[in-house]
Amino acid sequence: MIHRSRARIAVIVTLAILAFILILAPYIAPFDPTQVKMEERLKPISMEHLLGTDHLGRDVFSRILTGAQTTVGASFLILFISLLVGVPFGLLSGYLGGKIDRIFMRIVDAFMTFPDYIVAIILSGFLGPGMFNLVLAIVMVKWVGYARLARSVVLTEKQKDYISMAKINGMSSLNILRRHMIPHVTGNVMVLATLDIGKIILMIASLSYIGLGAQPPAPEWGAMLNEAKGFFYNAPQLMLIPGLSIMMVVLIFNLLGDYLRDHFDVKNQKG
Amino acid sequence: MKQIGKRLLELCLFLFLLSIISFVFMKAAPGDPVRYMLNIDDVAISNEQIESLREELGFNDPVYIQYWNWLIRFFQFDLGDSFMTKQPVIEELASKIPATLTLTFSSMVVMMLIAVPLGTLAALYKNQWIDHASRIFALIGASVPSFWLGLLFIQFFSVELGVLPSMGSDGFFHLIMPSLTLGIAMAAVYVRLLRSSLLESLGQDFIRSARARGLSPKRIFIYHTFRHCLTPVITIFGVSLGSLLGGTVIIEVLFSYPGVGKLVVEAIIRRDYPIIQGYVLFMGLFVVIINLLVDLSYRYLNPEIRLKGADRQ
Amino acid sequence: MIQVTVLAISDLTIQHRKTMIVQNIEMSVDEGDWFALVGESGSGKSVTAAAIGGLLPRELKAASGSILLDGKNLVNLKERELRKYRGTVISYIFQDYQGAFTPFMKIGAQLDEMLRTHTNHSKKERKERALHSLKLVELPEERVYNSYSFQLSGGQLQRAAIAMAMILEPKLLIADEPTTALDSMTAANILQLMADLKEKAGCAVFFITHDLRHVRKYANKVAIMRNGVIVESGMKSNVFHQPKHEYTKALFEAIPSLRKTSARLSSHL
Repeated sequence: MIHRSRARIAVIVTLAILAFILILAPYIAPFDPTQVKMEERLKPISMEHLLGTDHLGRDVFSRILTGAQTTVGASFLILFISLLVGVPFGLLSGYLGGKIDRIFMRIVDAFMTFPDYIVAIILSGFLGPGMFNLVLAIVMVKWVGYARLARSVVLTEKQKDYISMAKINGMSSLNILRRHMIPHVTGNVMVLATLDIGKIILMIASLSYIGLGAQPPAPEWGAMLNEAKGFFYNAPQLMLIPGLSIMMVVLIFNLLGDYLRDHFDVKNQKG
Repeated sequence: MKQIGKRLLELCLFLFLLSIISFVFMKAAPGDPVRYMLNIDDVAISNEQIESLREELGFNDPVYIQYWNWLIRFFQFDLGDSFMTKQPVIEELASKIPATLTLTFSSMVVMMLIAVPLGTLAALYKNQWIDHASRIFALIGASVPSFWLGLLFIQFFSVELGVLPSMGSDGFFHLIMPSLTLGIAMAAVYVRLLRSSLLESLGQDFIRSARARGLSPKRIFIYHTFRHCLTPVITIFGVSLGSLLGGTVIIEVLFSYPGVGKLVVEAIIRRDYPIIQGYVLFMGLFVVIINLLVDLSYRYLNPEIRLKGADRQ
Repeated sequence: MIQVTVLAISDLTIQHRKTMIVQNIEMSVDEGDWFALVGESGSGKSVTAAAIGGLLPRELKAASGSILLDGKNLVNLKERELRKYRGTVISYIFQDYQGAFTPFMKIGAQLDEMLRTHTNHSKKERKERALHSLKLVELPEERVYNSYSFQLSGGQLQRAAIAMAMILEPKLLIADEPTTALDSMTAANILQLMADLKEKAGCAVFFITHDLRHVRKYANKVAIMRNGVIVESGMKSNVFHQPKHEYTKALFEAIPSLRKTSARLSSHL
């Protein structure tokens, strides 16, 4: 069991470092991430440019740092809005039941039939390329999952005796939702959210890579890879660094998600 | 049969709704397609030119009339012409669909070739090295961006070794890297799912009963366990087909593979609405048909659903 | 009449890693016995029963002791060898009748599968024997043969499970709370059926329960188990009339006696 707790500490420490980088990125970055210096182009890794420079002479280290803000920051924004929209929808739909719930489930099912990527691509197709539209498109894909989860938790809890007792004792619906439902929903939503954040990061990076998200010269990890496409042979760090950054960050969140799921999800505790 | 008919009716309704939604969305979308169309030629354009083109395309009619006209043409298999190429959308899509389906299918084969054996072994040898290996594979696979994996492949196989082509679709060798990339990325997701559904099957009471009857492990696995977890496997199959199609978009752009995914991304960037609309309808049709097939296979695999359905009729 | 010992367990200890699940179990079951193992949930009854046929979950291990079946020690037997005993010499029925049959195979196909595994019968012989076994448990044999498990009621399923268990005339039928999940009328019928079959086939029954009324009616030997240890065992009459252990006494006091209650009721009238 020792290596379990060690893993936990490792995850927490990395998360702390990540948060630190995200918040302080503009202050740590040694160069302006968008400043073009043609005489400095494709420089290898050195003391001055910790991760070298790209095809326009921009400092890769600075771009990775500010890119973290774009990619990870946008992911958190998406998650936050999805929660804000999805959870209340699911809570109400599940709690009220009846016709509202049936209509709601129809909408959710229609969304769920389609694969994430297709919906996001189509939506950003209608909205047009760009980071803001991409955020909007992914929110529209993601909120459904939270609504569905919140609804199913409410439906399970609603059948339990303590809720009937609370009703008999004259507790108001609002109080039942607040005191009994929300605490149950929170744990489940937390687990799903941590497992989701990695997927969102991957989605932003992938869609930015194909040109539907962040537009150059904005430093976004997927877009950076797209921009540097032609120079991988001469400057392999341009391919390795953004890719590894995405992978490491996603890996950390996936590890955290797995850990939370194993410890808080009742369904998986048996296995 | 009645149920299948009902499903088909639902399908039509669904496509109808989808066509309305996609139409409304496009009308509400920012950006003027007429300007995009004329900008393609990179010459200065006058307002009269824009106006005459708008009139010609019927953009000045009320939205519902535009939709009605569009719907009538839709039933004549006419989805309009692409702004980019001036070719009919139906032809553009039809020429790209086979390539995309080939890629989807070959990625599916790669995915199954990895996920099924690895997932089965991980379940049978739970908590042994192969199980841990599958866990690490799944964790890393779920963390690597698929397009980056593809970039690594291109760098290694095309640039360094020069053994595989990195672009286009011209026979078997052009399929290897795209389907490997997509197949590996998908397998990572489904290995663990397969493992847990197998473990769930192995823990069933009827498996214990079968063991108590003295049946051989091989017999139990093939006739009792595996059949039981075919249902989740088929679900995975159906769901993954959708995600695979989503993944093909990225992979097609990455490998310059001429399929519908690449087509739609280009259409999005150049605001070629008819193509986007055609893509939406194609995807809608495809996803719904897959769901229908998955549903039908449940009925075959699970006699309870089959017989109860018959009772109701 | 010479009593042949069918099952003799001595000094059996089962561990989960370092924790003892059951400890130093001793018991012997003779031909024609109805041996009842009584205890509350979690006392180790089912683990003991599973150990006999080698059906323990992978993480449980028999640490010491022996299980002699017909004089052969099963503890050290390989899975391949053990398999030949399961279904032929020892057979099981479980509490969960839903789980007795694989849901997507017809009952007949599963009886056939079992006969094919353990005998060299022809296809026709197998079908005859399967139908006969269903008839013995008083089921409409043709219909049940062609049914899936979800098409039968709980009582019917448990009967079919008994038919399956008895089809190869085992020497020991292990019944792990076979009636707990059934209503009391069905339960009584099932137990009566088991008692009849036991007489006909001349096998022994290893009966796990927490219901002392069933024990009183059918068993001839009793063992009381608590926290993985057998606290008291012997002939039913001895244990019932002169319980020695405190736990046994408490157990009997906790069970309302039907006769006493009815006597009390009639005195009030």
